[in-house]
Amino acid sequence: MIAKTKYIPDGKKELKKLPILHYLDANYLYYPVTSARCPEGETCVRGGQFVKIGEVIGTRKGAFFEQPMHATVSGEVVGHEKRIDQSGKVVDCLIVKNDKKYNLHSSIKDRTDAEIEALTKDDFVTIVKDAGLVGLGGSAFPSYIKLISKDPINVVIANGVECEPYLIADYSLMMNQPHEVIEGLIYAMKASGAPKGIIAIKKKYTEIAERLNFSLKQFTQYDIKVALVGNYYPQGWELEMIKNAIGINIPQGELLSKYGVLNFNVSTLQSIYNAVKKRLPVLERLFTISGNGVSNSSFRARIGTQVPDLIELAGGYKDIEIPKVLILGGPMMGTNVTRDDIVMTHTSTSLIVLNEELEVEEPCIHCAACVYSCPVSIQPTQIMNAYKTRDKETLKMLGVNKCIECGLCSFVCPSKIHLTEYMRLGKRFANK
Amino acid sequence: MQAIKQTSPYVRKQVSTKRMMIDVLIALLPVVIFSIYRFGWDAIVRLLVSLILMIGFEALIIGMTHKVKKTDKTFKEKLKSRYSGYTINNITAPAVSAVIYAMLMPSKLPVYAVAIGAIFAIVVVKMMFGGLGGNIFNVAAAGRRFVSLALTGMFAGVYVGVDMIAGATPLTALKSGMGFPSVLNSYPILDLFTGNIPGTMGEISAIAILIGLIYLLIRRTVDYRIVLSTALTFIALITIIGLKLYPTQWFEFLLYNIFSGGLLFGLTFMVTDPVTAPLTRPGRWIYGLLIGSLIVLIRTFGAYAEGVAAGLLFANMFVPLIDYPKWSSNIIKPRFVISYVVILVLMGLVVYFGVGGAV
Repeated sequence: MIAKTKYIPDGKKELKKLPILHYLDANYLYYPVTSARCPEGETCVRGGQFVKIGEVIGTRKGAFFEQPMHATVSGEVVGHEKRIDQSGKVVDCLIVKNDKKYNLHSSIKDRTDAEIEALTKDDFVTIVKDAGLVGLGGSAFPSYIKLISKDPINVVIANGVECEPYLIADYSLMMNQPHEVIEGLIYAMKASGAPKGIIAIKKKYTEIAERLNFSLKQFTQYDIKVALVGNYYPQGWELEMIKNAIGINIPQGELLSKYGVLNFNVSTLQSIYNAVKKRLPVLERLFTISGNGVSNSSFRARIGTQVPDLIELAGGYKDIEIPKVLILGGPMMGTNVTRDDIVMTHTSTSLIVLNEELEVEEPCIHCAACVYSCPVSIQPTQIMNAYKTRDKETLKMLGVNKCIECGLCSFVCPSKIHLTEYMRLGKRFANK
Repeated sequence: MQAIKQTSPYVRKQVSTKRMMIDVLIALLPVVIFSIYRFGWDAIVRLLVSLILMIGFEALIIGMTHKVKKTDKTFKEKLKSRYSGYTINNITAPAVSAVIYAMLMPSKLPVYAVAIGAIFAIVVVKMMFGGLGGNIFNVAAAGRRFVSLALTGMFAGVYVGVDMIAGATPLTALKSGMGFPSVLNSYPILDLFTGNIPGTMGEISAIAILIGLIYLLIRRTVDYRIVLSTALTFIALITIIGLKLYPTQWFEFLLYNIFSGGLLFGLTFMVTDPVTAPLTRPGRWIYGLLIGSLIVLIRTFGAYAEGVAAGLLFANMFVPLIDYPKWSSNIIKPRFVISYVVILVLMGLVVYFGVGGAV
């Protein structure tokens, strides 16, 4: 108990066995006009207008970038409504009524190999920017900004670790479409000029290593390797993953590109592949419904699908009389929502529904399990005490800003103290 | 369906403070059984007195320190809101302290003396500092030190052996009169190991304590760093003394020192108390170094034959200093390793030249 905790029961074994249901013909699809990174946005279609798959229907505006929105079905624009997006906020959504004809927009054409061969770095950046690609690991950071970096890049890393419990999106992607991931990685290498590529996966996923190595036999002209990294949490944190995959220690707060490293999630690479090869934006993705409060199921669904439809298809909630905790993303770092009218966006990976368990907070007994488990070597319990006395100087001295909010301190605490929440409050207070 | 608002993480590990306390109680079981076997009703009475007093006084003080709500009218309602924060840990934690405290008492010590120490420990040392998790000093050790300082006379000649003859403990025998090689005749190493010697109730049987220690280490309820660091320092310094004073019998001297007195008991149940220990890995190594050196210094140069409780209480005072945010860090740096070794070597030199002059 007084020891470093690295492993979290992940429940992935059961989820991997679930068949993937295809639900691609929802009647109405919802497209959030704003997102967590883009507080403003506007649409460029009118009610009653017909749109086709891949057509630009609006733009989201962030602090330093713009991001186009694409329709993922063909049909009629019917209006606006409020829904909840991945970040748990209520956002305005544009609604498109699906006409189930799935007409492609005129711009959607496959690029030939010769065309791809001729693409320059700037072309890649433009393609990625126009397709509106963002980091699909959960950060939703625009991908093209990573690609325009001026620093020389030595290695592009595909992050397929997915260390959070209950998530299997990246796993099934690498299992079912290893080619697309590898080709996406090759495009990212071409775009950044990196000679080397690495796909980082968990050590225990030997079946994926085999599959990727088999697929890599067709791409022997590129220097791509599969790196096996640890099975523990938080191995998927990029600095931890880079350390174990290629042995470079990057201090927190530094840009990866300074060290010649570029890091993409495997789903992001697949979307780069689709954008380059097929001129397609992200149209669909895997969405898992899991947890002990709902019938579990895996879906392949279009971006814009309403999650309540999926819940109903899966079999609905279990034990309705018990209050539920709804989580978007993983159970360690995911976002909590209090309504279930959620809309699937690019970055949605799963909805976890847990039956509520009451935890009574006991006094801290200084066992230091949180201090031992902290991946960034800060002292959560001292930070908690400093926050309680509102001691800004001590908070900074203890390095509260290093915290990555991975949730391990709360997870391990035998007194059930919600340390991660104190870390967040401490950060906010120290930076005020 | 009702959705609840929570913040991440939403899953928790299956551990609890209650389980840690119960683990310590389980580990204490062999020691308690041995003391009841050895001392019979004497042990049972003293155990029960300290258990009832510690749990009772903790409950009493919690009731006194919690405010009633303005809406409470009847006595029952007032009682309910006074004890709203009363949990299972308000029973298990004082129970652990009480059993450890009782095991530190000589079997023939008058019951009222046991009671005074227990009340002092729980009221002054624990509850006045804020109850569970708030105390600076180890509860059981402070109670024991209080009794032995306030009632010094009672500790002379009340230690009882297996044949019910009062006599000096092996350590007091070493300190006063008999001297080293000849004490082995009265107290062979094997007797020290099994517990066939006079001494306080809990500390005499090395084998019962070691079973508890192994259980706690396997369960990871105690931090092995403190145990290892204290033991390492103690063994290193006693070996140096042994090599200088009794070059031919240094190993017997070492074993004699380890198995006599409260070292093993303190190592297993007292220094490992997380509440009074530092928070970081290097901090816990330093803490162990401090306790180990203090025990050796008190035993060799001090007025007392026994030094575990005093050494531990003294080291407790340094914990806020070790944990001071400006220099505390959980990373073991080369600088720390070097200074640890240097301090250990310096302590070795101190005892090496110190004992030469003393004898």
